[in-house]
Amino acid sequence: MIAAARGLYAVARRWRQVLAHRDELYGINRRNVELVYAENPRRHYPIADDKLLAKQHLAAAGVPTPATLHVCEGLFAIPRVLAALADESQIVIKPANGAGGQGIVVLGERLGPGRWRKAGGDPYTVRELQRHLAEIVLGSHTDMLADQAFVERRIVPEPLFHELWTEGLCDVRVITHGAVPVMAMVRVPTRESDGRANLHQGGLGLAVELAHGRTFRAVHRGQAITHHPESNMPLVGLDLPRWDEVLAVARRAAAAVPLGYLGCDVVVDAVLGPLVLEINARPGLEIQNVHGYGLGRALAAAGCR
Amino acid sequence: MTRATHWVIAALLAIPAALIATKVAVLDYRMSDVLPRTEYHVSLTMTLDGHGRDVKIRTYLPVSDDHQAITAEQQSASELHLGFEAEAGDRLGVWTGGGVGDRAEARFAFSVLSEHVRYQLDPGIAVPASYPESVAPLLRPEESIQVDSPEIATLAHRLGADRGDVRSRLERIYGFTSAMAQRPFKGTTDALTALRLGEASCNGKSRLLVALARHVGIPARLVGGIILGRGSKKTSHQWVEVYVGGHWVPMCPTNHHFAELPASYLVLYRGDKSLFRHTADINFDYRFTITSDRVPSPKAKAAFRVFNVWALFDRLGLPFSLLRTILMLPIGALVVVVFRNVIGMPTFGTFLPALIAAAANETGAGWGLIAVLILVAIVFLARGAVHRLELLHSPTLAILLAAVAVAILGTALAADHVGLHRLTRITMFPLAVMAITAERFYLTLTERGGTSAGKELAGTLVVMLACHAVMGSLALQVMVIGFPEILLWVVAADIYLGRWVGVRLSEYLRFRPVLTPGSPS
Repeated sequence: MIAAARGLYAVARRWRQVLAHRDELYGINRRNVELVYAENPRRHYPIADDKLLAKQHLAAAGVPTPATLHVCEGLFAIPRVLAALADESQIVIKPANGAGGQGIVVLGERLGPGRWRKAGGDPYTVRELQRHLAEIVLGSHTDMLADQAFVERRIVPEPLFHELWTEGLCDVRVITHGAVPVMAMVRVPTRESDGRANLHQGGLGLAVELAHGRTFRAVHRGQAITHHPESNMPLVGLDLPRWDEVLAVARRAAAAVPLGYLGCDVVVDAVLGPLVLEINARPGLEIQNVHGYGLGRALAAAGCR
Repeated sequence: MTRATHWVIAALLAIPAALIATKVAVLDYRMSDVLPRTEYHVSLTMTLDGHGRDVKIRTYLPVSDDHQAITAEQQSASELHLGFEAEAGDRLGVWTGGGVGDRAEARFAFSVLSEHVRYQLDPGIAVPASYPESVAPLLRPEESIQVDSPEIATLAHRLGADRGDVRSRLERIYGFTSAMAQRPFKGTTDALTALRLGEASCNGKSRLLVALARHVGIPARLVGGIILGRGSKKTSHQWVEVYVGGHWVPMCPTNHHFAELPASYLVLYRGDKSLFRHTADINFDYRFTITSDRVPSPKAKAAFRVFNVWALFDRLGLPFSLLRTILMLPIGALVVVVFRNVIGMPTFGTFLPALIAAAANETGAGWGLIAVLILVAIVFLARGAVHRLELLHSPTLAILLAAVAVAILGTALAADHVGLHRLTRITMFPLAVMAITAERFYLTLTERGGTSAGKELAGTLVVMLACHAVMGSLALQVMVIGFPEILLWVVAADIYLGRWVGVRLSEYLRFRPVLTPGSPS
């Protein structure tokens, strides 16, 4: 009896706590109605969804982005692109309309004619590259019937980001509302996540204090952690390099497109500084779990609501 | 939610309410009118051994009247030819054949939509002094209806049936025969035998009732037919009609119906006759096989005066179940919306669960479930086999579809081989729905891995079963078919949910770190 009453009381307390925090939480319904539909007209989605189009808009506004070396518009363009890449190394091949890092191939040093080493170490041949370009332009990585592939110079990560993930790239996801940064997190790929910066697949999320660019919370598979589960590197209290510039490029990127609610993915190149990698018109909500509080509180703190 | 949205929702709620109120109050529309009716499909099969001789079979076939509507008559026969004859208001089917061999068969099938008929017998109707010429003979004795017997006279007097108005006389006679012990007696029982035994089968009780009624001056006659019900039967049934105030009023002392005829009674002939007459020594046998299904009542059909899809379906010969499925689909879609946006359950595609449920409406939910599981297993296996070839996306899908097509036919063949006839129905599952399910499953499996695909599969099956339960609800079907304007309420609910910004049930779990910070997640 007493145990049951205690249990009931605990449930009631927990529920009151849930209610107290529910108002600040943005679920999918609320995000879609209040942010995506309200701020991002559907006709402008392609600006965010098509990375080449996004880069054009950003470049026109003077926002720094990784340089596009080549564009492969269709099957016909593959021989030209392959010829142009013959002597290249340290490059990235991406589909213009890929989502979630799909279809991205990172090539490191050149091993010989038509042979490279991929990020992660595996060899990669020109035949594989040819097939990959064909798959991209035939729309394998998108919902559409066809797509474009493009080639970028590989980013050389700034040392702190390099230390977080030595085999590739960490980015900073900055949520902006009306071109004002609202929330930010560092997305760290891991071995477990197979090199992808996807939190659901075992990547790490580091919540960043907007004012100072200092990490204050780290999350791995929904659990708060303080040290990297693979390298044991401390993750909380890190001061991110060139933070003011990161926020500045995110602000300028958000102002450059007609989308009021954005996820700007910023990377920090050791030489070039902060570059906007891509923008997302429907950024995910997991950033709330990384911060431990809801988007509503962040919007209020930024003076947006 | 904006003001405009509120107004739209209010209008969508008010319009059907007003329409329904008008129908009920002004057009005197009742829910019972809309309830689907049971239509029986009767098939009479007759077999005989003709031994190479001439053969003749006569039986009574039903005629449409106020009580029963006979449609969709079909006949087939080997070595016999069917002709029709009229016999005092009854219809005879006469099968004749010359040099008919053994194991000859004749079949006659028809559909019946019948109504329960009730008569109000007014008190104070006196027994008339004379009857019209067509009715008067039905006061006379017959071979098995001994109207003039002293025993009948004594009983009529003892019952008090020889005094008073028509109704009270009939009530006494009916009360006596109805209370007699029931006896499952085969063959003919005449009125006197029934009286002496004090117990009888349906024809004995009916003959006694007829004899008593005629004795006290009320014309009466036997009625023969069968009682409709699913299954196979040989038993025919007899009851009675009495002539009151210019009407033939039915009553059945066996199953206790006074001045009413249940919908399940099928009238075949009137008078003291045999249902079958045939050439002797032909080893004649017969069987009525009866099935039934639900069809809309004519009154529900009549409600569709403006948006007359029913007339269209009747003209095109499309089944009622299809119209029902189409009308219920928006409700199924609303169920999906609730599961996705309020509960947060992932499914293959948006409305695939509703479509699968609609498809499973024809085959049963269990078969829908099995069809989806077989499909998913095939896609999973085929993908594993094709994966190594590293084919492009569309050709891979085409191969998976080929595997699905072959698997469905293979399943049907295997099921037929081992005698699992119900499983052969998997071929009835619409291929379009199968193809989309296969594609969605493959995409999820490829793009987001086995765990996501498994979750979506489970979600799809759960939502499919929920859709099936809701779309299969007879109460809802009757509501929507009788008042299709209810679909506007469904749209109102869709609009409300379309602007609903609440936290999905699954998100309470997903966002535990935000909702209950500090507690272990």
